[in-house]
Amino acid sequence: MAQVKFENVDKVFDNGVKAVSNMSLEVRDGEFLVLVGPSGCGKTTALRMVAGLEAISSGTVSIGDTVVNNLSSKDRDIAMVFQNYALYPHLSVADNIAFGLRLRKEPKEKINKQVEWAATMLDLVPYLNRRPKELSGGQRQRVAMGRAIVREPKVFLMDEPLSNLDAKLRVQMRAEIANLQKQLGTTTIYVTHDQVEAMTMGDRVAVMSMGVLQQVAEPQVLYDAPANIFVAGFIGTPPMNMFEATVEKDGDYLALTLAGARFPLAKDRDWRYPRLSQYAGRKIVVGIRAEDVHAAEAKPGWPSVVGRLGLMEALGSSQMGYLNIDATKVAVATQPKAPDDTTTNAKPAKGAPAPRPEDLHTEAASSFVTNLVAIFPPRLPLKLNTDVRITIDTANIHFFDADSGEALR
Amino acid sequence: MSDPTQRRGDDWWRHLILWVAIALAVFPPLYVITAAFNADQTLSGTSLLPRSFTLENFKGLFVQKEGGAEVFFVRWFRASVIIAVLNAFFTVFIGALSAYAFSRFRFRGRRMGMLFLLLIQMFPGLLNLVAIYLIVLRTGEVVPALGLNKLTALLLVYLSGAMSINLWLMKGFFDSIPSELDESARVDGATPAQIFWGVILPLAVPVLSVVGMFAFVGTLNEFMTASVLLETVDNFTLPLGLQAYISTNFEENWGSFAAGVLIAQIPAIIGFIFVQKYIIAGLTQGSVKG
Repeated sequence: MAQVKFENVDKVFDNGVKAVSNMSLEVRDGEFLVLVGPSGCGKTTALRMVAGLEAISSGTVSIGDTVVNNLSSKDRDIAMVFQNYALYPHLSVADNIAFGLRLRKEPKEKINKQVEWAATMLDLVPYLNRRPKELSGGQRQRVAMGRAIVREPKVFLMDEPLSNLDAKLRVQMRAEIANLQKQLGTTTIYVTHDQVEAMTMGDRVAVMSMGVLQQVAEPQVLYDAPANIFVAGFIGTPPMNMFEATVEKDGDYLALTLAGARFPLAKDRDWRYPRLSQYAGRKIVVGIRAEDVHAAEAKPGWPSVVGRLGLMEALGSSQMGYLNIDATKVAVATQPKAPDDTTTNAKPAKGAPAPRPEDLHTEAASSFVTNLVAIFPPRLPLKLNTDVRITIDTANIHFFDADSGEALR
Repeated sequence: MSDPTQRRGDDWWRHLILWVAIALAVFPPLYVITAAFNADQTLSGTSLLPRSFTLENFKGLFVQKEGGAEVFFVRWFRASVIIAVLNAFFTVFIGALSAYAFSRFRFRGRRMGMLFLLLIQMFPGLLNLVAIYLIVLRTGEVVPALGLNKLTALLLVYLSGAMSINLWLMKGFFDSIPSELDESARVDGATPAQIFWGVILPLAVPVLSVVGMFAFVGTLNEFMTASVLLETVDNFTLPLGLQAYISTNFEENWGSFAAGVLIAQIPAIIGFIFVQKYIIAGLTQGSVKG
């Protein structure tokens, strides 16, 4: 058992691409930490640096009290589960699981005992003599897990281990892996691009974008108090609605102006977003979760705005309404720029507190585009292409600096 | 859209081509077989349907006739098989080691090395013969065991011959083995050597069999280089020796030649039976990437 510590870690590839910049993060002993971010954000690179499969350009990574920068993979006492499982096709399940123990010249009885223990734990006993190609995806996934747990390493590293499974199996394996980790209590770093996996599995979740760590927190904290626009837009389905807006002082209170309507904010806003009052009269970005948007008739007396309903999705337990309101939507770039982008030089800027202003691109409101998602109760009679009067629960809205994207806390 | 009966009618020319191809493929071996069992030693006297039947041609390969020339057939056969086996083994072994390095390690000159090997392969082998002859001649002055008329020298020349094409074939196959397997083994605690022996080689059996088989058969049938380097009848390989049956030394002895050719094919046939299941897999998989 051990903690894993990144201290000011950089990774620059030979071709000059900076994959990870100035990353500092401590994974506690026994913790299940999920590294999440869009593809190309550097999360897998960070994991591979812990595994010793990628050299560390600068900074240190330590496991326990040992700096492992110059240790080879086999001396780091880690086990890794790969996205494609990386099972040895020519070996039986039992031999696959025993591979690492054999290399370490463990006594035969111990190997057999360990393999049996792992196989029992993972329900693999009936398949021990089969080859990987004779197994289903979920079984292969479990063999890969077995190969990792059998050595009882200090740290598990998992690189998108569920992304090759179908949706139903993924949900099941999600729970199995989380349970297994709880039972074993082994420090685990788990990489995924799927924020649902991150939210459901992690003790804490570290969100990355363009090589920069954005926020590390418990899942609910990420959801309730995102540190910046990127985290706000990335965590949660559907993504948070974000608009340009202004706040003004109104006596003791602050009021938000959005789409022509004026929403008075409760006083305790000062407590959750203490910096908000300094922004009175300035342009800010306001973030509203879909579940905080309500039909106006449900909240009589609340200020309301009108939106045109462009699309409805009935989900049974709720309806998702896609509306267009008279406000400027703020979208967050989650991908590094493509090389053919007009701004060229796709390299993420070094040490940038992402997302940078040029990554926030704004869309003018237009009647063909919807810019707000709302979750309405089921069976609420709503008609496409009609105006719907909506209101916003101001107790849960979020405020960000329009230039830096940072939360106003 | 397509009427089955109509299509069958349209197919006759495909069958015709097939039968012509089969006839072309079968005719030469058939001719050799009849010649081998024909008592008449001349070529013109041989026909597809033998008029007489005899095993004398085979017997003559192994038993010296009274007053006849000394018989070396067994000796040639043994020399050819030994050289072919050694060549196949070392070609696979050295080739696999180099291909692994080219496929998995990143080192200065890696790309240039691969291109250079390809370039060498494009140089017609026949043009090398002069150089090879001179090299072996000079080497023999220093190390007699590697000089002219020595099978060891011939083996070395064979080893250098097809190395680059085999290397490309194997590297292409190795590239198609996911690198996660290496990485997984590395995390499990394997050294590069253990990864090579324990993971890569077992998975590369198809391409190794193909390369080994081609090297084996190619060596068994090789004539040109052997004819330049080997000088005396007792040191000949099988193709050289058989050629001697129809050259003036042994006089035109087509019956013995045909019988010898039949026996010479046995090792190749055994080899093909042994690795046939890998050949198709090896050829296609190796060629996808590479």
